[in-house]
Amino acid sequence: MNAAPTPLATLRATARGYAPRVLQGRGWVLAGLVLVPVALSLLIFTLIRLKGGEASSTEAVKVFHEVLVKMMLPIMALVAAPAGIREDLEQRTLPLLLVRPAPAWALPLGKGLPWFAWGALWLVVGVLGLQVLGGDPSLLPGRLVALVGAWWGELALMTLVGLLFKRGTLWGALYFFIWEPLVRIFPPALQRLTFTHHIESLAGSRAAEVGTSQLLAQEQVSTHPGLALLALLLFGAACWALAGWKLQRTPVGLAGSEGEG
Amino acid sequence: MISLDRASLRYGPILGLSPTTFELPDGGGITGLLGPNGAGKSSLLQLLSGLLPPSGGEVRIFGEAPFRNPAVLARLGLVPEGDRLPTGLRADRWLRMMGELSGLSGEALQAAVALALQTVGMADRAHLTFARMSKGMRQRIRLAQALLHGPELLILDEPFNGLDPEARLTLMALLRDLAEKGTRILVSSHILGEIAQLTDRILLLFRGRLLAEGTVTEIRQLLDRHPVELRLTGEAQALARWAVEQPELAALRMEEDAVVISVRSPRDILPRLQKTAAEGGIPLRALDPLDLNLDAVFQYLTKDHA
Repeated sequence: MNAAPTPLATLRATARGYAPRVLQGRGWVLAGLVLVPVALSLLIFTLIRLKGGEASSTEAVKVFHEVLVKMMLPIMALVAAPAGIREDLEQRTLPLLLVRPAPAWALPLGKGLPWFAWGALWLVVGVLGLQVLGGDPSLLPGRLVALVGAWWGELALMTLVGLLFKRGTLWGALYFFIWEPLVRIFPPALQRLTFTHHIESLAGSRAAEVGTSQLLAQEQVSTHPGLALLALLLFGAACWALAGWKLQRTPVGLAGSEGEG
Repeated sequence: MISLDRASLRYGPILGLSPTTFELPDGGGITGLLGPNGAGKSSLLQLLSGLLPPSGGEVRIFGEAPFRNPAVLARLGLVPEGDRLPTGLRADRWLRMMGELSGLSGEALQAAVALALQTVGMADRAHLTFARMSKGMRQRIRLAQALLHGPELLILDEPFNGLDPEARLTLMALLRDLAEKGTRILVSSHILGEIAQLTDRILLLFRGRLLAEGTVTEIRQLLDRHPVELRLTGEAQALARWAVEQPELAALRMEEDAVVISVRSPRDILPRLQKTAAEGGIPLRALDPLDLNLDAVFQYLTKDHA
């Protein structure tokens, strides 16, 4: 009889086994979500410069916050997470994994790691591309860490939600596109419950300052970049752990439905 | 090896398997799990393979509860029903991953993958993705993943579904070979002929209940109260005259060149019939049992419990 694989061996096996999936259609959609807006921005800025115009470096900051952070990053999580362990639940291939002696709790993270690495790669490429537009080079590491850290947390959150709820993508979309913008009118401390806040703290810039026209907006709070990064990493780790715990504890039969929340 | 003590399974308010008790001994051999669709076969197999914990009672495999138990899962292999495999992956790489998840590594892993692929006859086509494989090829790969780690208990849920006749025969030969080498195999099917070709030992399930357990002959003995139809071909009038004198006769029907009799306790009347025919006492040219096969057994038993 073979010894049961360690959690590390399980992570390595699932990550390596499912890695080819990121090179298929969904993986390229993920890359496109980053590359298309950055490439379009570069094209527009190049055309403006060719016509003799002056492209402000603040435009790069706007593209970073308004497009990459607020739109593309959540969409990436909504696209990638269903291809993680949720996919095996829906395709009813999860029993093939669960009848192995490997620890079931390691499977969500193991299957999510290739998607995390692939998404992080393109986010780094995207941020470097935006740097061509201009901007303070000293803020570049902060932006890179902010996006990759948020990607870690958002992918983990969506993986967990996908295991907890049948319509996980819907709940995730509500969180990203309703809660994150709406929180600005709630008491300031609640801002710390958004990815946007931690990304802004790490990146050292905001999409926009609160103006007098925004009557309901609350004062923007600040968090030390180190704490913001720690919060993103810990939140992501907690979500992966909860997803693992959910899978470990939930009986999932051949029909797959027992795993639904 | 397998022990169920009043084990039951519920899906919410629906009873998938009534409290069931049976044991299968250690050692190789094939046991057929028979029953129509919805009989509870998959529920039972999910309990045995540790996918679901019992709602009541106890399931023991190798002396331990199988649900999320690595010590048990390392010793069993499961081929679930259906044609489900992960999309977009190559078979050989996927098998390697499944081997690693079973605790194999290094050269032992390479050897196990190669042996499993060779065993199912897929060594030269394992580089294909699942999408490019035929149903039969995918079924072989599903069997290969269950064989990778050399399980002592192999559980197959409706493995013959969708296979062409040649692939069925190949799979049956493979299962017989594994059983001879010491693997205990539990195979479910709703087609009785398949199981009859594979094994004599069966568990009969119906509506979530274990109706009978034993060899086909043993189960047939339970049915003596049911008339069995025999066609006696020869001089019909003379055969009918002999038949009406037999105490086991329940009914008689004349055909052009034969007589069809319904008899109770066929084990009693058949030797007498053969002896009389051999001595020239009756003009019998052929004897055809019309419903002594497993289908009849199955229909009788299920009719009783319907």
